[in-house]
Amino acid sequence: MMFTPRTRRALRRTLRRQLLPKLGVVLFGLLVVGALCAPLLAPHDPTTQQLDEKLRPPIGFSGQTEQTSSQLVDGEVKTVTETTTISATWTHPLGTDALGRDMLSRVLYGARTSLLVGLLGTTVAAIIGVPTGLIAGYYGGRIDDALMRSGDVMLAFPSLVLAVALVGLFGTATVRIPDPWVVLGITPAMPAHVVLPGTVVLVVGLVNWVWLARIARGEAMGLANAPYVLAARSVGASDRFILRRHVLPNALTPILVLATIQVATIILLESALAFLGFTGTTLSWGFDVSQGRDLLSTAWWVTTIPGFAIVFAVFAVNLIGDWFRDALDPGIDADGGGGP
Amino acid sequence: MSDMDGGRTVDRRTVLRSLGTVMATVSVAGCSSDTPEQSTDTTTAGDELSVTVTQGTPPDTLDPHNHRSTPTENVVRQAYEGLLARDASGAVTERLATGYDRKEAGRVRFTLREDVSFHSGSTLQPADVVFSIRRIVDPSVGIESAQRDQLSGITDAEVVDGKHAVDVITEGPNPLVVNQLATYCDIVEKQWVTESGEGTVTQEMNGTGPFKQTTYEANTRVAFEPFSSYWGPSPGPTALTIDAATEASVRVNSLLEGESDLVVNVPPQEVQRIESNDASALATAPSTRILYVAMRSDVEPFDSQQFRQAMNYAVDLESIVEDILNGFGKGTGQPTLEEFVGFDDSIEPYPHDPDRAEQLIEESGHAGTSVTLHSPQGRYLKDVEIAQAVVGMIDSLSNVSADLQQRETNALIGELTDGDRSTMPHMYLIGWGNATFDATKTLIPTLGCGEVLSSFCAESLDEEVQTSLETTDQSKRQELLSAVNSEYHDLAPWIFLHQQFSVYGVDQRLEWTARRDERIEAATIARSN
Amino acid sequence: MVSGRFLARRFGHGVVVVWAIVTVVFLLRYSTPGSVVTTIAPLDASPQLKAQIARELSLHEPLHVQYATYLGDLLRLDLGHSYVNNTSVRQLLASRLPQTLDLAIAATIVAIVIAIPLGVVSATRRHTPTDYAATSFSLVGISTPNFWLGLVLVLVFSVGMGWFPVSGPARANGEVISAIDVLYAPQLAGRWLTHLALPAVTLGTYFTALLTRLTRSGVVEELDQSYVRTLRSSGLPPVVIRYQHVLRNALVPVVTVLGLQLGTLIGGAVITERVFAWHGLGSLLIDAINDRDWMVVQGCLIVIGVGFVVINAVVDGIYTRLDPEVSME
Repeated sequence: MMFTPRTRRALRRTLRRQLLPKLGVVLFGLLVVGALCAPLLAPHDPTTQQLDEKLRPPIGFSGQTEQTSSQLVDGEVKTVTETTTISATWTHPLGTDALGRDMLSRVLYGARTSLLVGLLGTTVAAIIGVPTGLIAGYYGGRIDDALMRSGDVMLAFPSLVLAVALVGLFGTATVRIPDPWVVLGITPAMPAHVVLPGTVVLVVGLVNWVWLARIARGEAMGLANAPYVLAARSVGASDRFILRRHVLPNALTPILVLATIQVATIILLESALAFLGFTGTTLSWGFDVSQGRDLLSTAWWVTTIPGFAIVFAVFAVNLIGDWFRDALDPGIDADGGGGP
Repeated sequence: MSDMDGGRTVDRRTVLRSLGTVMATVSVAGCSSDTPEQSTDTTTAGDELSVTVTQGTPPDTLDPHNHRSTPTENVVRQAYEGLLARDASGAVTERLATGYDRKEAGRVRFTLREDVSFHSGSTLQPADVVFSIRRIVDPSVGIESAQRDQLSGITDAEVVDGKHAVDVITEGPNPLVVNQLATYCDIVEKQWVTESGEGTVTQEMNGTGPFKQTTYEANTRVAFEPFSSYWGPSPGPTALTIDAATEASVRVNSLLEGESDLVVNVPPQEVQRIESNDASALATAPSTRILYVAMRSDVEPFDSQQFRQAMNYAVDLESIVEDILNGFGKGTGQPTLEEFVGFDDSIEPYPHDPDRAEQLIEESGHAGTSVTLHSPQGRYLKDVEIAQAVVGMIDSLSNVSADLQQRETNALIGELTDGDRSTMPHMYLIGWGNATFDATKTLIPTLGCGEVLSSFCAESLDEEVQTSLETTDQSKRQELLSAVNSEYHDLAPWIFLHQQFSVYGVDQRLEWTARRDERIEAATIARSN
Repeated sequence: MVSGRFLARRFGHGVVVVWAIVTVVFLLRYSTPGSVVTTIAPLDASPQLKAQIARELSLHEPLHVQYATYLGDLLRLDLGHSYVNNTSVRQLLASRLPQTLDLAIAATIVAIVIAIPLGVVSATRRHTPTDYAATSFSLVGISTPNFWLGLVLVLVFSVGMGWFPVSGPARANGEVISAIDVLYAPQLAGRWLTHLALPAVTLGTYFTALLTRLTRSGVVEELDQSYVRTLRSSGLPPVVIRYQHVLRNALVPVVTVLGLQLGTLIGGAVITERVFAWHGLGSLLIDAINDRDWMVVQGCLIVIGVGFVVINAVVDGIYTRLDPEVSME
């Protein structure tokens, strides 16, 4: 039970009346479907290289290009420049990268990494942040001071800075999760594993828990003296019971709203880490953007397409976040968490 | 603006700067820069010729005796010189020595140039040369040098009494001593090194070379000015900066914008932009560098010859050369390059044969294993793409999986050269530059038993190589070494990749020729007419 | 107006947080498996160097002695020695800091100049096309990774149009120039600005978008307050109401959040510096992590963390001026 009937009504009302939430639901739906069904939708294995198919442009961008090749003649390097036509093909609707890997397939598979890290990272942040915040707010006083000061210390380090330092210290461990589509034999030709950047999930959770703790604390402070909490305490209910049965459910709405915004923040953070080469997985939008840097002037699509994918995903999640916020009005400004 | 005004400005500015920054120290920039009124960069007013060289990797130290990389060599060689040198074609020339002759087996006498001074002002003494050689070959002198094997066979040096000369002592009749000293061993000032300490040597340069260091910002750039008391002709550039950019596109862009004048490793797809730009041109040369993937024979699964051969059959080298390098490279099948003493011209590169590869893996008993390739980024032409392609090709075999670890270049090289085998990657892509044109200077350091950088050990072949070092008859040496190379082809200690072609982008206003050994002698840069 | 006691408390709080920051950074070196010496020493360190490092940092002493050595060094503003680059960490940081400050300040100015008017206009013309445009811009802005934005800007404005340099800081005589140099040599301003423009816009975009959203929601809330109606009925011109009364109140939460988000700005600077080959703290940090130069990483963390606390203390000062009620707390 995530939402009370009242909040569900509020959500529906906002969705009906406003355009942006509708857009958000559609885009986010596409993102989730793309990620879940990547093996079904992708035309190729995203890691398969076809060097003779390299750097094909997306559909609609065929054109002429000058290509220089070279040969060794009598100990001297001779270069020859010729004009060739690079033509788009429907085999690779979004083109191919420098190694002839299919961009569309990479975009679809990249969605998995982004969403997984976004959701799991937020979960880690919530597991640390929510109990900390609730306890701080509920007990107040010294416990509150101690917990929230430690939060202030975390806030002093930009999440990206702390994340790169931690990844630098711990290295990048990855977890290989078998892909159910392949295990079930539906798409046997696709990669057999989803590579989850494990260290990165923990690190992005670790550097982002404070925002959730702050909101949970605020809610718990308000609820600590609510009549039903006082009543429960007077009949001898334990603090643990009260926190779980009374405080948490009532604080859940603002926490969920903020958590949604956190997913967007963490997707951005993951892409930045991948861009810097700090995640240990190569099937990631941020990593693909970095791969295309050297091709910026000759093959713009190699950086541009994965970049659009990141904007698309983060935009979709932010729209959902805005929808929740507008409908539920938990008093959160758009300040939820550090971006990259 | 009068001089006095200028002086006051500097003082106020220094004060303000230290107040303005949190850390109340002046910046590491030298005081020579406190006149930003002059216009700058690559302008060529009058006889000024300011040159910026952009490499792919910054120097990892300024100590000329404690590094193993060409980018570092290219920095320190502006300030330091050796006894001998090479011209652009590879021929040996004289530098701090004016001549040499073999006195007896195991002793070569080098006569030193007179009136050579160090940047510190001291005059070059035979003791400095002796100290420099010992600093490399003798671990008890100064540092434990990473370059010991570059002078392998040289055991010591001695000052010749009463003459401005030194004797270089070798083990047996070393036929290579001149070759070695023409490529390696920069001469440092003994007193300066011992008195200022080893820490200073990594930060400051005090050589006899045509350029004097003015600024060093670690990981960023090194700036030089001409050394006014240089013994030879004054260098072409009146100011020299060497910096680094990992991404090829950044290097090429800064050349096209006029922010840099000479950039290394221009990737094929950027060649066209440089050629079509009026202000820039291309300079190319086949280099003496061979790229390969080393597989450590002391660990599984690479201890199996079949497995190593399988890796070679798995890689489509032709496609890598054609499709990734656009022909800017030449496939190899042995550790030694054409034109080198010891090259076996009967050997062809391994063909692409995935079926054979899979079969060999089955036979090796390592089916189902997985391998990880460590690769540098930005150090060699298209290194990242090549590493990805190699991994992709191995991974596409049905009975082995492969993945890639992209590493920061200096960190990877550090792991390879630190002598700690527990942290040494099992499989890594690296390029070996050997400017001596002799097979032994590749075979010993990269494949010899017990060498720091070696990934392999075949004692019988080591003995053959050793014999060749004691053989002065050139045709015999050729015969011996080509047999060794042919054995190495079968042993497949590496995934043989290609000979790299050096591709530079050069500003049109400069005249400069690319060298085979990838060295950049900035002093020879001149203004083109 | 602002009571001394409040300031003292605020200062005390700041000192405690600074102490906690340096302590956390100190403890981080113990968080990896293996000995502390291996974390700090360069990969190819000789046994002598390792012994020297252990001596200089008291690494073989009990933990509290190590900690005392560490704090003592910091109090003398000694951030230690980079054993990889063989230079003083403080000097390295000092040479890089002006670059990052230039970038961060320029981005903040870009953000404030664009975001505040945009937010106000968007709020006062709620549900008009202007509002929708501003809202969409800010949504896309907070959704765009700045490394990619930087590359696209380079692609369009440098590679394509040739208006701006592709990367790197402005130099004069080979030396990197920063704002301070421009103050003394105004003729360098043009070059300095063309180099700064794209990185500043890249870094500023996320911040601009965020600030626009905050300003909009702040102003929207204020406009609904009863005092605005009172002012309106008293016949004050709308512009005066909007910018003198409403904005002043709406800015209070904006300023606080702005202070908290400065961390985001510095984090963004790390990436922006990477994209534009900018020689600031961010690229220093990434290089240091790649080089396994822990002393420099530690120095960067301390300077960034402490800088954050100091800036937020200043922001709180502004806050109390904007909203006198805070001091009554």
